[in-house]
Amino acid sequence: MTVKALQTLTTGRNGVGAFILQCKKMDIHYCDWAGSSKGMNGFIKSILPKFAAANPQIEFVVSPRPSKHPVVIGHYINGREKAICVRNLEPLQILKKVELLRDASGEKLRKVNKPVQSVNESVRGVWSPYHGNGMAV
Amino acid sequence: MKRLRPERWTGQLLAARPGAPPASAGALRPRCVASRPRQLCLSARRQQQQPAWENDNDSFDVLQDGTDHARYPPLERLPASVAGYPSPLPERALKSAKLAALHARLSLPAKIPLQTMARTLVDASADENPQFNNANLAFVGHSLITYHVAEWLMCRYPRLPMNILYSAVYAYAGDEALHQVARSWGVESAAAPGGEVDPGLLQFSLDKPVTSIIKFGYKRVEAAYLEKFKWRRGISSRVVFDDDFGGVVDKTPGVEHEEPEEHEEREDDGMDDAEEGLSPSYTSYGTDETRKLAEKVHANFARATVGAVYAHCGRETAKAFINAHIMSRTLDLSKLFAFKQPTRELALLCAREDFDHPVARLLSETGRMSRTPVFVVGIYSGMDKLGEGAGPSLDMARFKAAMNALKAWYLYSPGDNVRVPSDMLAQDAKPWEPAHIDMGEIISR
Repeated sequence: MTVKALQTLTTGRNGVGAFILQCKKMDIHYCDWAGSSKGMNGFIKSILPKFAAANPQIEFVVSPRPSKHPVVIGHYINGREKAICVRNLEPLQILKKVELLRDASGEKLRKVNKPVQSVNESVRGVWSPYHGNGMAV
Repeated sequence: MKRLRPERWTGQLLAARPGAPPASAGALRPRCVASRPRQLCLSARRQQQQPAWENDNDSFDVLQDGTDHARYPPLERLPASVAGYPSPLPERALKSAKLAALHARLSLPAKIPLQTMARTLVDASADENPQFNNANLAFVGHSLITYHVAEWLMCRYPRLPMNILYSAVYAYAGDEALHQVARSWGVESAAAPGGEVDPGLLQFSLDKPVTSIIKFGYKRVEAAYLEKFKWRRGISSRVVFDDDFGGVVDKTPGVEHEEPEEHEEREDDGMDDAEEGLSPSYTSYGTDETRKLAEKVHANFARATVGAVYAHCGRETAKAFINAHIMSRTLDLSKLFAFKQPTRELALLCAREDFDHPVARLLSETGRMSRTPVFVVGIYSGMDKLGEGAGPSLDMARFKAAMNALKAWYLYSPGDNVRVPSDMLAQDAKPWEPAHIDMGEIISR
């Protein structure tokens, strides 16, 4: 037997082929007594039904959290979660925060320096010192 | 230091006890009694709360605990009979928020009902009844996935040796890869299967694993000796007898796991590591065996989803789904080759194809007398350069050059967008142009 097969795995990239929204669940906590939840209560009443209908990929869980500030917690496919305290915010400001959570990937925030990141190897290849005509020193 | 609130302690204790007087009738904030957030939507929290509805069915009046139930409606009440079922009833699928979210996340067509999606999430180890578990759907899905992956690889790389092809199919459609696919869909698993579990959770039991048959293949007569005497299985016999990945078909179902696993995988909560009799490979994520089982369960869920797409939406949609989720993953096929005698194989190839005998020529070198020399060797057949390789010794460079030449031969591809036989099943397909068929491997085994 001259060729032996090695075992490897395929690697998937989200968006190549199919795109899966990374936010899978959102916990929305409110308090109907405290003033800091005033905007949140308005958000839940007026904006959330439309937002949830427009984003069926996300499971929304609305639950009271009495005498605490209102919080939105996003749960992501990679197992991480992101929580944003939305105390004293207006409903539309909360919508911005919720959209931020929806669009996040769940990864830790990191600085991106390169405009393109790719797992594919370079088309041009790596420069080799042993090829070509060489360089006159 | 955090302020203690004794009035809330009693509230917590009394709220859970049936028939007790209102916990905070005279408290300043009667609405703050609810110690745990009452969830308006369905969620997984409910799955461990079996006593709650049992109490509800008794004389327990839920209005007595001082909670304003108009404002905080109680959790969904389940009939006591659900605890008798091994998996959730199909009609509960319509109410599961998790399941609906999963359905939408995968962009599945509306033709696929939530009840079928719920069924794909029930493993055979959770519910042995094949009318309620996903074994049948997984069988269909497995056949479809391996068929589409194999035909595409064969048409796209017609010269792949058979064992490399098997390995490549496994890399796309094997348990590990499909486990990753299922994980990337964001499916969560229930702590333990049962009738009261949210239907949107993957349900399986590691305590009593069941080997459901999802692969096709023959059981070898000599199966018992293969392991014992390390008998060789020829490639031709693998094609005939073995499963889609060239592996031996599992032993009789049930025999494989004689000893049920003691430790189940628990992903969400802390583990009590102090249990006795732990195997050395035991971690907080279970043992190697339990992890393998969980991997298989996730893979079967992915297969069953494909089976469900096929059952409700037909062939073309299933093919598109496999294309989008499985075949779009990347695999570097050149990493699958491990050559033993590349120069001999290349010489035989050249003899077979009537090329000139391959000759290795030194193209360039540096630092021959140094500690780190580099030789660049090219392999030529007549005036044609077949391959080139660099290495720290002349022999190594020659071998690498031969390997590259062989890889260039084996990985020949007619193009990225090759037509596959299943394309002909589409309506008004163009006439079939024969695919390139290679004459076979250089050194047969």
